[in-house]
Amino acid sequence: MPRRGDVIGLGLFVVFCVVFPLVAPGSLVNVGVYAMIYAIAATGLSLLMGLAGQVSLGHAAFFAIGAYAQAILVTRYDLYGVLAAVVAVVIAMVVALLVGIPLLRLRGHYLALATLGLGIIVTVLATESEFTGGTSGIYGIGKPEFNSRTYDSPQEFFWLLTPFVVVAVLLARNVVQSRIGRALGAVNDSEVAAETLGVDTFRLRLQVFVLSAAYAAVSGIFFAHWLAVVNPNTANFPLSVKFLLMAVLGGLGTVWGAVIGAFGVEFLDEGMRELIPVLVPGAVGEVQLIGFGVVLVVIVVFLPGGLHQAWRMVLARVRRPSGDVSEGRAEATEDDSPVMVREGRPVAGSVLLEVRGLTKQFGGVTAVDDVTLDVRAGEILALIGPNGAGKTTCFNMVSGVLAPTSGTVKLNGVRTDGRKPHIFAQLRATRTFQNLQVFRSATVLGNVMVGRHLRARSGLLRGMLVLPARAEERAVADAAYEVVRLVGLEGERHRPAGELPFGRQRLMELARALAVEPDLLLLDEPMAGLSSSERRALARLLRRLRAGGMGIVLVEHDVEAVLALADRVAVLDDGRLIALGSPEEIRTDPAVVAAYLGVDEDDTAARAAARELAAQVEET
Amino acid sequence: MSDLLQLIFSGLSIGAVYALIAVGFVAIFTVSEVINLAQGEFAALAGLVAISAVGSGMPLPVALVVAIATVTVVAVVMERVTVAPVKRLTTLTSIILTLGVSTVLKALMLLIWGPEGKGLTPFPGGDLLVFGVSIRAQELWILGIAAVVAAAVWWFYERTIVGKALRACSEQPIAARLVGISPKLATMLAFGIAGLVGAIAGVIASPVYFSSWDSGLSLGLKGFVAATLGGLVSIRGALLGGVLLGVLESLVAGYVDTGLRDAVAFVLLIVVLVVRPAGVFGRHAEARV
Amino acid sequence: MGPRNARRLAAGFAVLALGLTACAEDAGGDSTAEDQSGPIKIGAVLDITGAGATLGVPERKTLEMLAKQVTAAGGIGGRAVELVIEDNQSTEDGAAKAVNKLVSQDKVDLIIGASRTGPSLAMRPIAESAKIPMISLAANAKIVDGSQWVFKTAQNDKVVLEDIVDQAVAKGWKSIALIRDSSGFGEGIGEMLTELGAPQGIKVVRTEKFAPDATDFTAQMVNIRNAKADANLIWGIPPAAGLAQKAYKQLGVTGAVIQSHGIGNQAFLDSAGPSADGLTAPLGRLLVADQLTADDPQKKVIEKFVADYKAAYPGESPSTFAGHAYDAFQLAVTALGQVGTDGQKLRDQLEGVKGFAGVSGVFTMSATDHSGLDKHALAIVTVENGAWKLLDANR
Repeated sequence: MPRRGDVIGLGLFVVFCVVFPLVAPGSLVNVGVYAMIYAIAATGLSLLMGLAGQVSLGHAAFFAIGAYAQAILVTRYDLYGVLAAVVAVVIAMVVALLVGIPLLRLRGHYLALATLGLGIIVTVLATESEFTGGTSGIYGIGKPEFNSRTYDSPQEFFWLLTPFVVVAVLLARNVVQSRIGRALGAVNDSEVAAETLGVDTFRLRLQVFVLSAAYAAVSGIFFAHWLAVVNPNTANFPLSVKFLLMAVLGGLGTVWGAVIGAFGVEFLDEGMRELIPVLVPGAVGEVQLIGFGVVLVVIVVFLPGGLHQAWRMVLARVRRPSGDVSEGRAEATEDDSPVMVREGRPVAGSVLLEVRGLTKQFGGVTAVDDVTLDVRAGEILALIGPNGAGKTTCFNMVSGVLAPTSGTVKLNGVRTDGRKPHIFAQLRATRTFQNLQVFRSATVLGNVMVGRHLRARSGLLRGMLVLPARAEERAVADAAYEVVRLVGLEGERHRPAGELPFGRQRLMELARALAVEPDLLLLDEPMAGLSSSERRALARLLRRLRAGGMGIVLVEHDVEAVLALADRVAVLDDGRLIALGSPEEIRTDPAVVAAYLGVDEDDTAARAAARELAAQVEET
Repeated sequence: MSDLLQLIFSGLSIGAVYALIAVGFVAIFTVSEVINLAQGEFAALAGLVAISAVGSGMPLPVALVVAIATVTVVAVVMERVTVAPVKRLTTLTSIILTLGVSTVLKALMLLIWGPEGKGLTPFPGGDLLVFGVSIRAQELWILGIAAVVAAAVWWFYERTIVGKALRACSEQPIAARLVGISPKLATMLAFGIAGLVGAIAGVIASPVYFSSWDSGLSLGLKGFVAATLGGLVSIRGALLGGVLLGVLESLVAGYVDTGLRDAVAFVLLIVVLVVRPAGVFGRHAEARV
Repeated sequence: MGPRNARRLAAGFAVLALGLTACAEDAGGDSTAEDQSGPIKIGAVLDITGAGATLGVPERKTLEMLAKQVTAAGGIGGRAVELVIEDNQSTEDGAAKAVNKLVSQDKVDLIIGASRTGPSLAMRPIAESAKIPMISLAANAKIVDGSQWVFKTAQNDKVVLEDIVDQAVAKGWKSIALIRDSSGFGEGIGEMLTELGAPQGIKVVRTEKFAPDATDFTAQMVNIRNAKADANLIWGIPPAAGLAQKAYKQLGVTGAVIQSHGIGNQAFLDSAGPSADGLTAPLGRLLVADQLTADDPQKKVIEKFVADYKAAYPGESPSTFAGHAYDAFQLAVTALGQVGTDGQKLRDQLEGVKGFAGVSGVFTMSATDHSGLDKHALAIVTVENGAWKLLDANR
């Protein structure tokens, strides 16, 4: 949706692009041409690093692939420039896909160095192959010609590039604000939480990787036409470093940042080339690397958000604080009717979750030992036990966060043990976390909207084009609002999630999970940090959800509240399931009492005392 | 046959250099989870400093000590000035940070020593011919010194309190702090070790493999690949990885195509990372949830 | 993106615009193409840093020295000579950027450069579309093939190989093993050698490659050793060529060793050390000027150049690369003195050069040959006790 700020910014940029070649001296326009060319690649890298959180030290590899493909198609096969460009971009994307599938499974620094290796491999292949012209490469690439006008002066080329840069930035901005952008932003804050909400992290990252390769290829295509020579140096490491610097300087993931970074770096380069020989006589050229290195270090240490962060800091000084965004807390409803009913949900009483022989061993320690239980639709199952009993570990295994050592987990008959959490979510099950996994970079509403990820379908392409996804985005926002209202957070929905008190954050996590419209909900200590009135409201909500047919598993330390709420209770101690039954049965089970009080079962006197204690508990 | 031996031997020689650089990567990574992209520059800088020291009249052993000491100090300063002040050291920031330092070092080396490659005076000794294999004295020095350093590093991490404390830092940072080991001090020490080992690699390699302002890139990357073969956490794995890489490179260059030499390291990296991310020689590490 | 981003952009571009106006330069005056009164501008794009630095630095020194000499002598036709030197950092896009600046901003009358093939190829289309004569200092014939405006002063690889084939014929060598630089300098050498050697029954039996910055040649030399060729040709520039020479001797490769014309400087002798003794190479006469006969047409030119260079840069001797720069500058200055700065006239004049005795050889250009040097441009040289020694004057 074009907003007023966007239009202004865009307008300013276009004005700048029109005016700059007219007023600036020729050599600076030349530098500007390179800045525009590289800005496209830098935008792609900024997306990859900022949005998908993946460092690529080999971005120049795709730049070179685009450049070479274009060069070969245009000079050797006489293909029409625009057609060749399309083919070249597709080639780069295919390579990115093939390379990304194995590489994107790697953790951050492995990916970084693997991409560095990719850049070197591309250089080596380009050097060795006759097809790519060996070390001389391909030369004699013509300048672009449209409507019988050849774009060969720096001014004309600069203007030719302008619409492409604008479109590149707009598309990138659209991605950031789309469903995909939201999902990846969540991944950056908490990958595990995003996964449990249904975000297929690997697939999304792969898509952004391929997209960033396309950006780099477009950049390379323009480079090929501008320089008229493409050779193995085009994929070199210093260029990848330059792209990195551009993205980091402007501010990762901030879409205009890459363009500003590109201009900044190119002018910095030029400026230092003029300056350093003056400062250090006899030193020429490549020593501007000093400046690059220093800028990189300074930014990371002092200004990790790049120029964008500096700008925001300036703005924050200048602006008045925007006032409390809260709209006051909502009144607690006295409504008891069923809520979040879903058609097609398994019938109440039927088995949703089957856990058989679930076991987890960490080295020599058995954290969970052969746990077997069922959870039915329309019931609340409480999972209690002393600290360290293995409750959260069970949750982790059931929801796919951890792979069991042995045992099976079936959801609606489908095995989910050892599979990733987003599979669990796709099967309409999700969870909350004992150690909150809040998406700090989003508002409350934003957090809950991530929960709607699986209830929408817009992918990267629709996200980029915005219009096809608009209706869906509105629906997502509306649905999220409804859930926020349900838990009573709508007064604070625009507040940054990190600012909420602990208890409210818990509610938000619950809302987020509910937004998935799950049939099965695992809640890990949802009541911790809530006031007693809030606990009552939550308990009422849970009852309403149960009435609507949801199956809920509840880990809670507030044993009284849980015994009042649950239909059945499972007790874990030392990783083993020591009791499973109705709350009354559990209350009086000597093994349970012994577990909580640590009493030997054979000690009659102690047992008697334990029984008395249990009776006292029952009375209160 | 003597061809094969010749290739293997020359591979062992460069492999020993890779191995030492790999140790530097492991030393820092195990303590702070930082991949030090400037590791190769430590080696290059040491070589160049030694060359200048010799050029200014110092006897070779003194020049070596000066070079090694200088680079060790540089490494520690790097940690104090760039790594320690960063509040949130994610993978992304640590890569960019060390990349920045690497770039600055490269540019400084270019500024001070110029663009051409230079070789340090070879260490004393004559060339040998053994079973048809031509062996340069420097290569024997490389193997010998690398072996001694490797043994010393192993002894440090396995048998001394300080070394064991460093390992504790990486495995259980909070527990380590509780018993009085300061993670900040540990990181500083780790960088110092990395600088020391990298510098030694640089000076022993310089007479044969030459030092220049950009020789650090290749050395650093290959050292990293070698370290990866040990899962980035195993010293022994890094050492074996380095030697394996060197020999593999030499064999591929000799029997397949000399142009593919540099590609070997990266193909190996990608294969290892995809097939067995914990490294060929490392233990299988569990993700901590 | 909200209003604050828009303001951010606005400020950013305002700063940028201010910065630009601050460093806006006078766009080089408004000299028209036919301005005959201002200084004559010669632009040079050289590989001063980066991979080609061993070439670019002596070339730069030569050009600066010669420009001073010309100015001291009163310029050309009363007009001062202004030399503008740019560093392309040994990269193609650096060369293109540099030549763009020379053409559009400095408005030079003639371009010299680059030191190596790749950057020269990048510069060529720009010089051609601006219709400004360009004299390259690089080796590959591709640079001038089919070009109207580009010339070169370094010998084509072909003539160097012709000399080597002649030598092989004279010595009765039938098989040659080739170890060549994998960059542009060494590309295509094997094919060309095979083509030239075929009529004489000379075969290339093995080809090995090395990276220009390689320091370990074990793999290559082991394979070369096994090829047991009559002669082995090392084709590269120092330091790699020198280290290859060392490895050659160290690994006990049999057969004669030939080097290329790329070793014509002290850096080679330094990196090869005592192992250089006994090699042969077709080299510029610069290195053996003192051993030339008195009637050699190049002797005087070379001796003056060497003396001037040593005087201007004490403790240094010029390399063959410096010689290429000398030739380019002298050709340019002579032509400029004869026809002035009109581009077309300059080009025609350069194309018509005949019998011009330079440092790299005696130049005779033509419409089909913008290199102007044949195989007699080089002498066959060997190394004895660490010094260059003339073997065959090759006239």
